[in-house]
Amino acid sequence: MTRMRFKFALRDSLKHLSHLDMMRLFQRSFRRSGLPLAYSEGYNPHLRFNLAVPLPVNVTASEEYGEVFFSEPVTPEWFIAVLKKQLPDGLDLTGAYTVENDASLLPSLVRAVLYRAKLIASLGFKVIPGSYHTALESLMSREEIVALRARKKNKNAYVNVRPYIIEAFFKDQECNNQLELNLMLQAGSQGGVSPFFVIEQLEKELDDNSLQKAYWDLSREKIFFKNGQ
Amino acid sequence: MKHLLKQVQKPARYMGNEWNSCRKNHAEMAVRMVLAFPDLYEVGMSNQGLKILYESVNSLPNALMERAFAPGTDMEKLMREHDLPLFALESHKPLLEFDLVGFSLQYELSYTNVINMLNLAGITLLSSERSESEPLIIGGGPCVFNPEPLAPFFDLFVLGESEEFLPELLTGLIELKNQNLERSEILTRLSRLEGIYVPAFYQTLDNEGQLCPLKKIDPGSPDLIAKRTVTDLNSTIYPIAPIVPYLQAIHDRAVVELFRGCSRGCRFCQAGYIFRPVRYRGREQVVKTAKEQIAATGYEELSLSSLSSSDYPGLDNLIDDLDQALVKEKVKCSLPSLRLDSYSIKLADRLHRGRRSSLTFAPEAATERLRRVIKKNITEAGIFSALGDAVDAGWQGFKLYFMIGLPTEEEADVQAIIDLCQKIRQYFRKKAKSKINLSVSVSTFVPKAHTPFQWEPQLALQQVIERQELLQKGFKKMPGVELSWHDPEASFLEAVFARGDRKLAPVLERAWQLGCRFDGWSENFTFIKWQQAFRELNIDAGRYAYRHFRYDDILPWDHIDCGVAKEVFVREHQKAFSNDAPEEGVAQ
Repeated sequence: MTRMRFKFALRDSLKHLSHLDMMRLFQRSFRRSGLPLAYSEGYNPHLRFNLAVPLPVNVTASEEYGEVFFSEPVTPEWFIAVLKKQLPDGLDLTGAYTVENDASLLPSLVRAVLYRAKLIASLGFKVIPGSYHTALESLMSREEIVALRARKKNKNAYVNVRPYIIEAFFKDQECNNQLELNLMLQAGSQGGVSPFFVIEQLEKELDDNSLQKAYWDLSREKIFFKNGQ
Repeated sequence: MKHLLKQVQKPARYMGNEWNSCRKNHAEMAVRMVLAFPDLYEVGMSNQGLKILYESVNSLPNALMERAFAPGTDMEKLMREHDLPLFALESHKPLLEFDLVGFSLQYELSYTNVINMLNLAGITLLSSERSESEPLIIGGGPCVFNPEPLAPFFDLFVLGESEEFLPELLTGLIELKNQNLERSEILTRLSRLEGIYVPAFYQTLDNEGQLCPLKKIDPGSPDLIAKRTVTDLNSTIYPIAPIVPYLQAIHDRAVVELFRGCSRGCRFCQAGYIFRPVRYRGREQVVKTAKEQIAATGYEELSLSSLSSSDYPGLDNLIDDLDQALVKEKVKCSLPSLRLDSYSIKLADRLHRGRRSSLTFAPEAATERLRRVIKKNITEAGIFSALGDAVDAGWQGFKLYFMIGLPTEEEADVQAIIDLCQKIRQYFRKKAKSKINLSVSVSTFVPKAHTPFQWEPQLALQQVIERQELLQKGFKKMPGVELSWHDPEASFLEAVFARGDRKLAPVLERAWQLGCRFDGWSENFTFIKWQQAFRELNIDAGRYAYRHFRYDDILPWDHIDCGVAKEVFVREHQKAFSNDAPEEGVAQ
């Protein structure tokens, strides 16, 4: 048995895929690769594979993690060489390493994620940074930011997601007409919040005049694991 | 465009770039075609015909085929706001830049999507008004066996199976284009090819609110348009590396066709007649193709498709072979269209080792008398013996398909659906000592062209609704049974267009103007807009759905030759209403 963890980046051309689309993409790529995949026991065997933490739709990623199990020894070099040929354009395999069989499952190790959200003005418009700085200050000074979470059987729950926003700041302007928001958010089994929700709340803090013709471009820069793994 | 995709549901519908999709350089091709499917991506990508044609054209060195699907209503709105024309998925080039746009016509209720896609592409709706530079608009698929309601929108139709014919047509078109011929001359030349129907060469003769027969105005066009068929499935082209969608398609699996055509001859079933003769794909070929498809796609499931899987000779041997060939890949096999008999149950059992969730069968009618009328010759004793085997094998649930509104049906036949299901429940409880999980799906009979029931009227809408209410009431008190039914008004429209003539084309256009799209999706279907369209054009829709044709009536599809002689339909039609002993429908 080999447990392989791997890193990958997701470029613009594939950022519209949902988490389930990504799961299918990998599963089918693994199956095409001819690698000795390990399957779960039982009536309905499925491939033993997981991604660290779902990536929201419309977000690119620089360093995502996945984990797959093999029934026979597989070296990282072999894994990378074979799998690369099965991955579509837009998905780059950037590394792989084996881990001990008794290691915790990858998703259980996730603690936080870092997003970089670029605000880009539409053609002929300008982004006014000051109003966004003020809006962010006001958002972060709130004690509660309440999100509605749909639960089973039409029951809704309200969650305060403010504690899940670990850090949020605008990077100093590098180029004109662009603002870059860095968002460090809690993620994993301890609870988390979508970067789009945070941005939506931020925009609500803007006064109407500052709501500009602009759109956000998001990428996930990093996943932070327990014990710095 | 990139920005628009962030604002729509399921943006992956418009992405392209899937595994095994084909990117060719437009400049290097002699002819460029788009296969347009008038429904959502996830529906179109489940269509096996699309995958076959994609393979057949893209395997040519000098031709390319790309795909376009009907955009969802959210995407359509954005496209119109931003003046983004309908584009093909592979190159994202607008449809206007292609030489041909071929629509796959599978279902009458997708017709408004055809018009909408033409309009979104910026293509002139009427063939007669199209300019020289616009692509040729062609139509293919089962609906072409009565294409009249769509005739004015199309330059030509391709009748029958196209995987061999389409490359021939494209090669011919390349030659004609090289000669710099005018559009009308190209159409004239193409109309001489067997299987091509150019509707502009046939004129409708108006006869006072009656059906409208056609008169040929181009002496060189054929009186009867013959369909194309593939002679040998083993040697014809078949996808071994089909596109693997990112988005989950409705049928998201490898598919190998076992055979084409069906020898059963159920009298309501159009597919059973228009896909004749029966042609089998050999066992070795099936296994080889299955292995290749699984290797090239990574699919975890394989479906063996046909109109009646149990009729494949040596099916049990095939399953053994497939088992052996695919055991390492842990591929699940499924067999749709199984007959309700012991042989089929045993096969299903071997396929589904371990997992016995639900078996699907289509008795279609609940009384033996009515089953004889439609030539679905299974007896009640047969049903229960098969069910017994299924219960012994551990199956927990069944899905049953029935139809209401069949010719000669009376309320008692509808009540019999309830009674039969009740009996099945009780039988199951006694034998399996557990609760059954029964799902009952009831559709409404739609008389289709080129079937023995083509002359028969559809049951009146009001009566359909009453019979559905009877079922709803009957099943309400039956725990463990889930009833589903079709929108009766949608089935009515389906009948109108399935038996319609050219006079319906303006209704389609008007309904589209009024906002009709995705009429096959109940959340989008707005009957009231259709009623308005019919009213404005002063056309009585009921005349199309409810008319009882006579044998000597000229039918709107009489110029289309499905390969089965009209006498056969007459004979079968007469037999349906005589009280003869049942006959086994296996004559080849």
